[in-house]
Order: sequence, then structure tokens, then C-alpha cells
Amino acid sequence: MLLHNLRIAWKSLRRNVTLSILIVSGIALGIAVSTTFAAFRHAFSKDPIPQKSDVLRYVRLDSWDPLKPYPGNDPTRPPTQITFRDMQGIMKSTLPVRQSGMFVSNMYVYPDPKVGRPFRELTRLCYSDFFPMFDVPFRYGSGWDRKADAGPDPVVVLSQEMNEKLFGGRNSVGKTVRLADRDFRVVGVLAGWRPNVRFYDLTQNQIATPENIYIPFNLLRPMQIRTNGNTDGWGTSGAPGFEGFLQSETCWIQFWAELPNDKAVSAYRDFLNSYVLEQKKTGRFQRPLNNRLSTVSELMADAGVVPKQATAMLIVSLLFLAVCAVNLVGLLLGKFLARGGEVGVRRALGASRADIFLQHIVECELIAVLGGIVGILLSLGALAGMNAWLKTTMARGDFFKLDLSMILLSVGLSLAAGFIAGVYPAWRTCRLAPAMHLKV
Amino acid sequence: MEFGPILRSMGRNKVRYGLIVAEVALTLAIVANCVNMIGDARREMARPSGFDDNNILSVRSTPFAPAFKEDGYLDAALRKDIEVLKGIPGVHAVSNTRFLPWQGGGSSTTTRVLGSKGEMLRNQVYNADESTFETLGSQLIQGRNFTREEVEADTKRLRDLTNSNRPRGPDGQPIEKISQDIIISRAFAELLFRDGKSLGKSLEDDDGDQYRIVGVIDHFYNPYGWPIHEYVMFFPNYSRSFQGGSSYLLRVDPGKMKTVRPQVEKALLAANAGRNVQLKELTEIKERFQSQSALLVKILSLVIFLLLFVTSLGIVGLTVFSVAERTRQIGTRRALGARRLDILSYFLLENWLVTTMGLVLGVVLAYGLNVALVTRLNGTRMDAGLVILGVALLWIFGLGATYFPARKGAAVAPAVATRNV
Amino acid sequence: MLSMKKIQKVYRTDLIETHALHNFSIDVRTGEFVAVMGRSGSGKTTFLNIAGLLDTFDEGTYHLDGQDVSRLSDNEMSKIRNQKIGFIFQSFNLIPDLDVFDNIDVPLRYRRLPAAERRERIEKAVRTVGLLSRIHHLPSQLSGGQQQRVAIARVLAGDPRFILADEPTGNLDTMMSREVMDLLEKINEAGTTIVMVTHTPECASRASRQIHLLDGEVVDLNALPSEDADRSSANLASTLH
Repeated sequence: MLLHNLRIAWKSLRRNVTLSILIVSGIALGIAVSTTFAAFRHAFSKDPIPQKSDVLRYVRLDSWDPLKPYPGNDPTRPPTQITFRDMQGIMKSTLPVRQSGMFVSNMYVYPDPKVGRPFRELTRLCYSDFFPMFDVPFRYGSGWDRKADAGPDPVVVLSQEMNEKLFGGRNSVGKTVRLADRDFRVVGVLAGWRPNVRFYDLTQNQIATPENIYIPFNLLRPMQIRTNGNTDGWGTSGAPGFEGFLQSETCWIQFWAELPNDKAVSAYRDFLNSYVLEQKKTGRFQRPLNNRLSTVSELMADAGVVPKQATAMLIVSLLFLAVCAVNLVGLLLGKFLARGGEVGVRRALGASRADIFLQHIVECELIAVLGGIVGILLSLGALAGMNAWLKTTMARGDFFKLDLSMILLSVGLSLAAGFIAGVYPAWRTCRLAPAMHLKV
Repeated sequence: MEFGPILRSMGRNKVRYGLIVAEVALTLAIVANCVNMIGDARREMARPSGFDDNNILSVRSTPFAPAFKEDGYLDAALRKDIEVLKGIPGVHAVSNTRFLPWQGGGSSTTTRVLGSKGEMLRNQVYNADESTFETLGSQLIQGRNFTREEVEADTKRLRDLTNSNRPRGPDGQPIEKISQDIIISRAFAELLFRDGKSLGKSLEDDDGDQYRIVGVIDHFYNPYGWPIHEYVMFFPNYSRSFQGGSSYLLRVDPGKMKTVRPQVEKALLAANAGRNVQLKELTEIKERFQSQSALLVKILSLVIFLLLFVTSLGIVGLTVFSVAERTRQIGTRRALGARRLDILSYFLLENWLVTTMGLVLGVVLAYGLNVALVTRLNGTRMDAGLVILGVALLWIFGLGATYFPARKGAAVAPAVATRNV
Repeated sequence: MLSMKKIQKVYRTDLIETHALHNFSIDVRTGEFVAVMGRSGSGKTTFLNIAGLLDTFDEGTYHLDGQDVSRLSDNEMSKIRNQKIGFIFQSFNLIPDLDVFDNIDVPLRYRRLPAAERRERIEKAVRTVGLLSRIHHLPSQLSGGQQQRVAIARVLAGDPRFILADEPTGNLDTMMSREVMDLLEKINEAGTTIVMVTHTPECASRASRQIHLLDGEVVDLNALPSEDADRSSANLASTLH
């Protein structure tokens, strides 16, 4: 019966092609606009590491100025990063199964002169746990081990793009790259790691792709590597020189811990509290106890990853869809009521009201699904356009995507719009008195 | 034409007309708020920086040759770079400063009026040399500019200071304070001093170091993450290091950007090859900074256009059905002596009534939506003119969308009345 | 087969009441071919709508095929229309974008018959009306007479107990009218009861019994004394013309 109704609906659409195109394009526009903006927002808001998002925790400690809170929209928030001293302090805990402090630096890479001139490249300094903690995929080799952390050994992990640039994409594990004033041994090459949001460091360029070079954190002292990321300082300037910077109250390190369950989380919370209380005795941490142990999604919310405009646009686009649905109600009502004669015949031949209702609601859904398909195609075009725009400003062309959840959403929106818009016209049509329309 | 019969006839088709009323209302609410958002974005984009944006080129030199690690070598290289850049025909002025407008950020510090014990105020802070303001195109309205001797002396003084371990008292502040001359923006001067008279007065920072205001520049606007876009202080200093490299701003003669730009890298590498050179025109940086707003404007404009299209479609549909349903009635009216114009104006009036009801409801909705956007998503309050504009727009679209199907209705032959279907 | 007793049908608007049927009674026996005649406004259409269960009535009782159908729900009426009644309309009322096969299929689908049986019934019905070669034509590709034959095939495929025909030849020329009437006669001879509303005496003469309607009441000429009959028929003739 459903199939038969679909056939009838298709014939009915073919009867007046112009009108049908108008009706379908109306709903297609609504679906296109709402799908595009839902996907736009989704690109920012979706979980970048769903398989681990409930075990990863980002650490923030309020070591800020006793006189005034850390600047920003919310005065109850601690600084977004921690100091070098505190990183060293909390890394003594054995509660996290994996943990890593990290920061980004801008380092000179000296390729083989045949390949090119020296260039500067954003380089992440982190601990060996970084790679297994974030499920970073490897093409060749792997990350370094804890021994290399302790060394610290001059080892390096390259992104796929960097391996392409330096070694033409060949397996470069064991080969040497010169960074700043040292030779580094390649231990691993990543396999196209591109989370949508660079969740592990949301202090800058949140939607940039991950860095192309990774080296052990502990090299910062022997090589005197300075951060290229945000540094938040307060109060008086510290002692001069590199060591003075490391010992200062400047917050510049991101810190992540992997805690396998709720028990570990609460134990680690206790640990951080007791660490801070200990520090208070030495005169540091003069503000009220305010530690944060945030999940990826909490951190993303705090960092304002989703632009407010994206939310506003999504609301506008859903209202747009509502207008299209209202529009559809009007057009369907006209279309169906103009067909009173046919409905009368069908009723005379024994169709029940339910039969007529079903026939017309199927037609509405067919219109909506056709509109949905056209809408999805249109929104693919729109997203491609936005990716092209992003490529010129952010050098990444794969940010906006229609993934399965978005396609399901837009199919769901189409079906819902078709049903909501169709219920009233179909109901009115099935209530038509059959006798009124037979004498034409 | 009387309203009575039209209204009564509409009353018999409440749902169908009600739908168009709702559609028009929603459309007005969305259009008015979208136009409001577009207005905000455009206003922000059109705000002048106070600099000669179109003729400024940013040049960054990042050294890799180890020789650059030595201060003396760096100083000499900097001097040479400035001479080389000045020598390029078409270059009007060259400055060594870390300040680069339109990046959406920069560096900032907190200060207060010396001895005021008031709250520390955040402001942007950058180094400047003797030709920075000439290069930016900023107008010095009070006091004096930095001199080259002053910049060189302060560069040396600051370098010695950072390399030394300043003895500190029990309060954590250095025992010996330093004092430096600065130039600030007019807006910052007005923020600090109620009468705006800032010349010769001093500020202090967390370390107790002092900054004496020797000059004020007119207009300064550099968008920042915090609301300190117009507050800035410049201190005399050449800025260069092995890590950070050295940054220059070039102001070229109007129209000379195309000829100057290709010569810069060649000239600098000829002077010293142990480095990389990056060039960016200020217009590119500004465009990139504003690209999100520009995209927003484009998307919102498209949404408005599509929305008006869809709503017109609805009105066309309503009129088409309304005409089809009354073909016989129209024929009868024509047979009874109605002119085409009478039929046409009947439909136009009917739709005008529907649209107007929608608009009345829409004005309420528009303000409701605006209040929600203002409180939830820090939008801006909507201007009444915008609502009037939206109302006018929808009236025009409504009449346009009615006209063509209604004209078809008016063309119905009077003979239809007598035809036995 | 069909028995209406004291049916009352009133159309009401804000201002006036129209008595479409007044104290209307009629009996049609199984296998009869009855012609219902009357001028416009006499209640023919109302009678047809009520007899076909397309409309409800205010007072009285209606038995169809031994079943009281006076106060049925909408769904029950749909079911009876579908299974027991066949309609033939003046304007054929074929669905324009369905071909002959699909048009005949419409009521059978509402009966939820299996596909094989539907096909068998449709082909048999089309063969009976002699349009097998046109089975996949659209109504617009057929002449008026052919369209009416399709409508008849639609009835035949449903194998109804009772056929209601509303001016079946109203839109046809003489030749085609005759064909259609021949078909109806054949169907009636096979045992199906037919009630036909018409105003053409030639058609009416093919029926086994004629009933006249005047202002919502039956004027049964056969039941009146002969001298009155002449007078009423004269009256009728004058009012009809």
C-alpha cells in the first residue's frame, strides 16, 4: 500500500511540474539553509575525540594574582594554562595512567639543502604519553618512550605533511632532521591526524590542524626553547633569563591527564587540592582554592570554541525552515483542495478517510524527501564554498563536513517538516464530503 | 472597494490566510534581525584604524644564521636593513616595530596614573622608533615624537636591564625604579585623565616602573581580544632578537605597492642571506581578520534573499489558488460589469490586508527575537528604521507576488459565468 | 435489495431550510433495473448520494442488501461502498493520471485484494467492456464512450450487488449511449440490481421500472388511479419542459 501510495504521489507531482518544482524548491531551500548552519555549528561543537572524551581531563589551577581575578568574561575561572613549576609539581602524581604537559614553539627546521631553504615551523613539546593518550595514528614508527622523555633524547615525530616535505613521503624512521642547533632522529610519522578542533590546546587557533613536528618536552631547558603560545603573567616581572622565566608565575603550559574512572578523577581532584594547599604554605596560590579538572567538552565550552554567531545563525536557519514549512502548508492545502473531485471518486469507490489521509501524507513526505535530497546537495555546495573560504584564511579545506549525523539530521528535519506541514492539508482533504465533488 | 466582503471571505478561509499571516510575520522578524546583524558587522568592518592601511607593508625577517645570536651583529643588521629598505624607490617611510595592526591581537600590560592608587587599567603596548608614526600615518596631536638618539639609548638601557638581576625589596618590586618616555593614544589619555590633559604626567606598572607621557597621537583603533581596542602606549625601543627576528613596517607612496613589494625580499637577502623574509600587505591582514565578518554578511544577505523568495512563493501560491477557486465568481462579476481593474484591485487589496496583518504581528515578533538575541548572544538592539525598512520591503514583495497571478485572474472572460462545466 | 422508509433530508444554512427529501420511501427488489426521473431540484442527487452512502440523512431508515445502513460510521460506509455498490457517473470520474488498468485497480486496492486476484479481475472486466487493447491508455487518450466503458469495467471488477448510475449517458452521443445502455442491460440480466438516475426517456425506457421524483417525494405513477395518472403525467411533462 505504501509503495502504491508513493506511485500515486509521484504521478500527482508529475501532473503539474512547475507547481511541484516550486513546492519542492521551497522546502529544499529550508533544508539546505538549516542543514548548512547545523553542519557549520557541528564542525565546531562535535566531540573531537569521542572514544576518550570521558577519560581525558584538562588541568587548571588558580595561581593568579591575589588582587584580581584572571581576566576574561567569567571572573570565577582560573587561568587557562599552568606554570612550569606547577606542571613539575603535579606530574609527581601516579594517579593518571597517562599525562603530559605541553606547549608550542616556533623552531627553525634545516632540511637537506637540496630540498629547500631553512624554514620556521610550529613544533609541539610534549611527553611520550601525548601520542597514546590522544590515540594519535601513526603511519611509520611510533612515538618515543619514557626513557627518551627522561634523557631527554633528541627524537622527533613528524606529521604526514612534514614527512612529505622533508623526505618525499618515504618511511623516514631512523633518518635525521636538524631542528635549531641539534640533529633529531625521526621515530615516527603520523598518519594524517586531523581532529576538527585542536582540542588539546585551545589557547590559539582552535580550528587549526595539529602541529607538524613533536619533540620531547624536557629538551626545553638544554635548548632554551621559548613558547610561541599565549603567556599570561601578572604582578612583578620575575628573575631575568630563561631560568627566571621557568620559575616565574607566568602561565603558559597546557596539561592533560588520563583518568580511567570516576574514582581516579575524584582521587586526582583531592591530590590537586592538597598540592595547592601545600603551595599556599610557601606564599603562592593566594586566591581561594579553585582547581578545574575539565572534560574535553567542558574545556571547549569554556574556551568558547563554538562562535556565538554560529548559534545565532542556527536559530535563524531553523526559523527559516519554519517559514518554509508554513509556506508548504499553504501550497499543499491549495493543491489538495483543488483535487476534491478525485478524492470524491476515491471515497465513492470505497476509500476510507484513513486511506485518503495516508495517500496525501505520503505525498507530503515524498515532497519533503525530494526537497531534503535537493537541500542536502545544495548544502554540500554551500559547505564546499565555506571550506574554500576557510582555506584562504586558515589553510585548511576539510573543516566543514556533512557527516552521517548531519545527513540523518537533515533527513529527519525533512520528514518532520513534511509531516508537520502535511498533517493539516491531508486531514482537511480526507474530511471532504465525498458527495460534494462528484457532480463536476 | 469595501473591506467588509473581503474580510468576510477571508474569515471563511481562516487557516489558509492565517498561514500567510504567520509566514509574513516570521519573515519580517528574521529579515529585520538579519539586517541588524549585517549592519553591526559592516559598521565594525568600516571602522577606520587611524593608519594608512592601503599603503603599509609588513616585513618580517627571521634569522637562522648563528651570527644573529650576537647583539652587536643584530644591531648592525637592523640598521642596514632600514637603510636598504629606505633605498627602494617608492618607499615613503620605514619603521622597526612589533606593532602590526589588524591581527586581532597584540601585546598588552596594565598601568595606572602614578600615585593614584586606583585600579590597574589594561592597555596595548608596543615598541616604536623615531619613524613609527610617520610610517603608520598617525597624527601626533600633542607633545613630541621619539628621537633616534632616544630610541637607541633606551634600547641599550632596556637590554641591560633584562640581562641583569634587578635587586628586589620585600614587596617583590625592584628597589630601583626606572622611568621611560611614552606616547599614548588620545582615547587612552581621555580614559586616564578626565580632562584629557595628559602631557607630562606619568603612569606606573606593577613593578613600580614609571612611564612619562611625552606625546599623544590622534586616532588609534586595533581590535583586541579584550575591550582595549583604542588604548595604547608606545615606548621607544628597537625590537630584534634571534628568536623573534625583526619586524618592519613600510609605508609606500600611494599606488606603489605593486612595484615595491617584489623588490623587498631580494634587497634584504642581498644584504644578509642568513634568514627568511615574509611579506604581508596590511590590506591582506585586514581582509583576513575581517573575513569571518565578511562571510557572515554574505551568508545573511543570502538568507534574506532566499527568505523573501520563499515568502513570495507562498503569496503567489495563495493568489493562484484564490484565483482558481473563484474563476466562475470572477466571470460572474465581469458579466455584471466589473472592469479588469476592479478584479485586480480586489486581489491586491485582499493580499495587502493579509500582508499587513502579518507585518503587525511580525513587528512584535521581530522585537521579541531581538530581545532574545541581545540577552543571550550579545547582539545589538534593533533600530526602528530597520523594522520600517523590512515592512516596506515585504509590502513591495507582497504586492509584486500578488500582481502576476491576480492579473491572470482579471483576464478571466465574462463568458465563464454562463459556461456549463 | 434497497429499502428506504420515510427518509428526511434537510439542508440548513443560516437563513433557510431546504427539504431535499421529504418522507421519502422507496423499495428496489434484487435484480430490478430502476430508473429514477425528475427535474433538477427534485431531489435526484440527494437520493443518489444517500443511496450510495455518500451522504447521511436526518430521519428514516435505509436497508441495503438486508442490512440496516441508516446510522453507520464513516469507515463502515466506506467499506459498503467499496464492496457492495458500484458507481457510474455522468462525467465518468476517471482519475486523469492513472491508466485504464490502474483506474480499475483503485477500488480493488481499497479492498486489500492480493495482486494476482486484482489483475485477474481487472483483465476480465476490461475484456467484458471490449477495451483489452487499450488497457494501458490514459483516460485522455480515450473517447467519451470508451471512458464510460472503463468506468463500467471499474464497477464490474468490483462485482457489486448493486449499481448506482448517475446520468450515465449524459455526456455521450446517441451511438455511444446505446452501447452503454446495452452493457448495463447485460449486467442487469446477469443479476445485478441497477438504480439509474436519468432525465432522458429513452434511457429510462430501458429500465424495468420508472420512479418519478417531485420536490423530494416519490410520485409512483403505477400506484395512482389511471385518470389521475394521466393528469399527473401531464403535469409532470409540463413542469419538466
